[in-house]
Amino acid sequence: MSRGTKFTTLLAALALPFTAFAEGVAPSAAKLVDFGGGWTITNSMFTGWVISALLVTLVLYLVGKPTILPSKGQAVIESLIEALRDLFEPIVGKKAFPLAFPILVTFFIFILFHNWMGLIPGVGTMGWGTTDAAGHFHITRPLIRPHNSDFNGTIALALISFGAWLIIVFKIAGTKLILWDLFGNKAEKKETPGWLYPILALVFFIVGFIEVFSIVIRPFTLSVRLFGNVFGGENLLHGTGFFFVFYFMELLVGLIQALVFTLLTSVYIGLLCNHGDDHDEHAHDDKSDHAAEAHH
Amino acid sequence: MLNIIAEIQGNIASAFGLLGAAIGVGLIGQKAAEAVGRNPAASGKILVQAIIGMALAEGLGILALFLAK
Repeated sequence: MSRGTKFTTLLAALALPFTAFAEGVAPSAAKLVDFGGGWTITNSMFTGWVISALLVTLVLYLVGKPTILPSKGQAVIESLIEALRDLFEPIVGKKAFPLAFPILVTFFIFILFHNWMGLIPGVGTMGWGTTDAAGHFHITRPLIRPHNSDFNGTIALALISFGAWLIIVFKIAGTKLILWDLFGNKAEKKETPGWLYPILALVFFIVGFIEVFSIVIRPFTLSVRLFGNVFGGENLLHGTGFFFVFYFMELLVGLIQALVFTLLTSVYIGLLCNHGDDHDEHAHDDKSDHAAEAHH
Repeated sequence: MLNIIAEIQGNIASAFGLLGAAIGVGLIGQKAAEAVGRNPAASGKILVQAIIGMALAEGLGILALFLAK
């Protein structure tokens, strides 16, 4: 047998025992405590609380009281925050950065840890269920589920991101800049023929409504993207019996989805807030060029 | 010919959506790799752009997967 066929038969042999356990996970979270009238505490909600509390205590334990000369734990957290700052500052712009950075860091760390905690042994496999005739235990109400594998969890995150976008953009950019950016005529008055200018104004106005629709749809796509990736990954893992290749893929997907959610939030903020920096830099460059030429 | 097409089963709506998403993500990856090849020093910035583009392209595919009946 060549090495290629040997490798494929090895993979097939590894996968064979797992085809017997091909069950998936339920897409909606199971209820733990039911208060009646639609108000419940679901298992993903409960897991979200517990992991968030653990995260907060971990960070507080690492940092303690922040000092100028950092302790080891503080240095770890500081290096993480510095890396995120270098990533987000060019996107969001200097004006919106102090206001936007705390929520971006929170989103990244929250979504990252909650995505990764779905890979810990025991998640989705401990709980209440039924035993069928063959003695095999089918679980119907797991105790621990990741927070982002419930559509409600990701809708909550997306709505918070949208609310933060609204507040930051109205505070930094102002209503006039937003309306100009959405509906305003962006053609140069000197360079377009006189008869074309009003037609372009009408075109930009109509395009503005399409822009408003795409903005309104943002929380929906943000939440469905995160939910689809996390829940789909969990379903894949449980259905194929935690095949090890998919486990590493889920690690990567968890990191990338956290990064993507945060990057998209920052890009939406930066689209409206990141104009002023370019004009200031151009003015400074022109002034320094003029000064250099004057010296010569 | 129509008999053959009529035999297709499964979730065709999701299939087309995901096909588009996969092709889109692949195209973005191709152009990102080419851009890094032309300018290796800009690899970090190109990575950020590529990930944003892939997220937007993949998001609609995930929408098709989970919302099609």
